Amino acid sequence: MHHIRYFLAVGETLNLTRAAERCHVAQPALTRAIKALESELGGELIRRERALSHLTELGQRMLPMLRQCYDTALAAKKVAASIRNGEAAPLSIAVSHTVALGRFAPTLRELSRALPGLQLKLYRGSGSEVAEYLRLGTAELAIAGPLEEPWSRLDSLRLFDEPFGLVVSGTHRLATRDTAEFKDLASETLLINTGCEMVGELRACLEANGILETAAHQVATQEDLLALVKADLGVAIIPVGTMETNGLCRIPLKQLNLVRSVSVYTFAGRQRATACGTLFNMLRAADWGFNTGRSNRPKLVDDGTQAH
Amino acid sequence: MMEPKLTDTLEDTFKRCRALEAPLADRLQAFASELRRLIPSFAAAVDTLVSRLAESNAGATAPKVGEPMPAFLLPDEQGRLVCLEDFLSKGPVALAFNRGHWCPYCRININALARAEEEVAAEHRHIAAIVPDRQRFAMWLKSDAKAPFPVLTDMDNGYAMTLGLAIYVGDELKDMMVSSGWDPSVSQGSDNWMLPIPATFIVGTDGIVRGRFVDPDYRMRMAIEDLLAALRTAT
Repeated sequence: MHHIRYFLAVGETLNLTRAAERCHVAQPALTRAIKALESELGGELIRRERALSHLTELGQRMLPMLRQCYDTALAAKKVAASIRNGEAAPLSIAVSHTVALGRFAPTLRELSRALPGLQLKLYRGSGSEVAEYLRLGTAELAIAGPLEEPWSRLDSLRLFDEPFGLVVSGTHRLATRDTAEFKDLASETLLINTGCEMVGELRACLEANGILETAAHQVATQEDLLALVKADLGVAIIPVGTMETNGLCRIPLKQLNLVRSVSVYTFAGRQRATACGTLFNMLRAADWGFNTGRSNRPKLVDDGTQAH
Repeated sequence: MMEPKLTDTLEDTFKRCRALEAPLADRLQAFASELRRLIPSFAAAVDTLVSRLAESNAGATAPKVGEPMPAFLLPDEQGRLVCLEDFLSKGPVALAFNRGHWCPYCRININALARAEEEVAAEHRHIAAIVPDRQRFAMWLKSDAKAPFPVLTDMDNGYAMTLGLAIYVGDELKDMMVSSGWDPSVSQGSDNWMLPIPATFIVGTDGIVRGRFVDPDYRMRMAIEDLLAALRTAT
């Protein structure tokens, strides 16, 4: 693994002397290791020009790829050591309150089983609050809908998509309907969660379908929104894929074509601590239904020619 | 008549080779020979990669017999986190690094391990496969091979890299693999085209490696008889 570490240091310093210092190794040893890596990869990674080194085209392509593997490898080593030594494993995560925690609870339970030292801090907030938690380092990892962050300093990975739908109370006049249309909502009071990551898109969609926001109440959290829908204060259009809606009715709304994706975010370039790195990889490895763009789902055909 | 699609031809060829009543090495060799006949340029590119890896001693630093097996914590195909200790508390284990659910050689290998599992389990020995594929694909590989043992996900080949087993496929082979229907980027959830060198380690309950097979030629796998012998003598 030291070959990779040396190459990453060269890639980041573009200076062999400084890279060698950073790795606490003599420069000839560093050069030898890079040569070995080059022979394994079948091409030159760096081009030397006096004091400075440049990455070749292959080097530039390999740098982020090897960085990703190396970081994961480093995290893998750390987590194994941490379990062996029974170390504390603090983990702070921020989850948007539009995302139902239930879907992630089994993953968190599994993490706490495997890491007896897990110390979880869970924050909830609106999309912008969640982004702020990440930026300040209060949270190491966030799970939320699309975050409106202009900065490209987040690593994100889309987990799953969920459609928006109509929710009404169990006693509402629409509760027994199989589907509803926007015109059914003309006489209804809408509840709008201003803390929802996609409130802008929702408003545009309502406007396009002739629903006036003058007849709407505003709340700031999903929990309050659901409580008020339950109390028949109004109806709401929310992401319904994962929401626990006990006592409420979900009704597909015709013409509504609003979908949001739930992603996991970390702050780019920040070292992930043991528990955070493990959780991030668990979330990446897990099967979230795979409605995440490219689909190349394996089909299982039993041709009877297998193990007996 | 329409020419059959290359990917279908390859899949049919693979199924024939997997179904052979023959030792693992012969089944692997049968597929390799068929592939060489069907796409000679592919086989040549593989030869180039393999000789490059062999010349640069890729995989040579992986744990040797008598050395400790580094610890890991990886999710299985159900999302359960599994560590090396979990296996060792039940008995010696064979850890088989495989490239992924898309790889015909790995599918034959896992299938052969599945055939051996019954014998192994009766003697309180265990098998586990490790792939860089995500759970859905790990699950698929497990069902495809009818494997009773867990298939663990090593995201980004992180654990494989700590053992010196992670390699870059190379630009030439990458394009050829995609056109043959063998694209690991979807199942890995990453476009980095790193793969593990297939390797098998037999680890005793003391955590020490008791048997080892590492070959940068991914068409070669540890013979089942060798694996069984090493597992049996391990304590």
